[in-house]
Amino acid sequence: MSELSARFQELLALLSTSPALAIVLTLGAFFAGNRIFRLFNQPVWLPPILISAMLVSGMIAILTMDYAEYREGSQWLTVLLGPATVALGVPLYQQMHHIRALWRPILFTLPVAATMAAVYAVVIAASLGASEEVLASLAPKSVTAPIAIGITEQLGGSVSLMMGGLLITGMLATLFVDLVARWLSITDHRILGFALGLNGHALGTARAFEIGPTAGAFASLGMGLTGIFTALILPLTFRLTGI
Amino acid sequence: MSMLYGFLVLTVFFIAGEVLRVLLALPVSGGVIGMILLTLLLMIKGSISDSLAGASQALISVLVLLIMPGVVGVFFVADEFAGQWLAIGVALAAGTLLSVLTTLWLMQRFSGPEAGGHE
Repeated sequence: MSELSARFQELLALLSTSPALAIVLTLGAFFAGNRIFRLFNQPVWLPPILISAMLVSGMIAILTMDYAEYREGSQWLTVLLGPATVALGVPLYQQMHHIRALWRPILFTLPVAATMAAVYAVVIAASLGASEEVLASLAPKSVTAPIAIGITEQLGGSVSLMMGGLLITGMLATLFVDLVARWLSITDHRILGFALGLNGHALGTARAFEIGPTAGAFASLGMGLTGIFTALILPLTFRLTGI
Repeated sequence: MSMLYGFLVLTVFFIAGEVLRVLLALPVSGGVIGMILLTLLLMIKGSISDSLAGASQALISVLVLLIMPGVVGVFFVADEFAGQWLAIGVALAAGTLLSVLTTLWLMQRFSGPEAGGHE
């Protein structure tokens, strides 16, 4: 038995040196996560990415791998994040006609709302005594993941904590847009979509497409503009205020 | 084959973004600069090639896969931020409620009379 476990350790060490295992884990969890998501009738509170991440974490624990080993192995996936971020420019270009149609509310709302999305969270966390690293991780909480990773790295936050904040924010934004819109009796799909994308990035955008194609288009627009605006403003602000 | 050409274009724009970031000491990630460059160029050109649209579509559809390693890390940082989870939780919940309220209120204020109406 000990003979076998020694061989198992040897095998694990061998697999850890190549990215193949991390790739298989990630891809396998990606498909399994999507399948489980459909099985549960696509619940808003449990996005497929969260299911997949739980599956990967479970497998890492079972295989007694280190998270660091997994991250190193899955590095080649993260390499594609750069070109994928650039790719977000394509849907943005394709939605330009929406900006022209509704430029006034967008122009007035976006800078204020995108700034406040970061400010509210940072101020609340700071007043409750959170560390600088935590503040830098929470600041891009309404920004779509590929851009937010870039921002957090610039600010010196923790990418993992930022990702957790991103997921929670996306889920809460979906819930709150529903509630607040009902309270303010807003039914305009363009406004609902824009608010979902601006506050809830990809998760909010997925919900907006459930409302309708117009809401979906405006959510993608809100998500893209918030990402660009925050990426330009936050690092500058942090640099100037010397946080 | 044409999809690969689109991927080449995207990667070139990403490298251009990185070059600008380093040379001008910009605090923005290379991917975002590349995205802005691409959007501006497409607006000037006024059209988009099938290969670029296809490659972008393909990459965006697997975005979830690309960010997974970071999300997995969430389950391994619990001890790192011990004692701050209350602050984090309250900031996320209250902060998101406030920012949703701000967004909807502003959009309603600045939209025309059709805001609040049905489509």
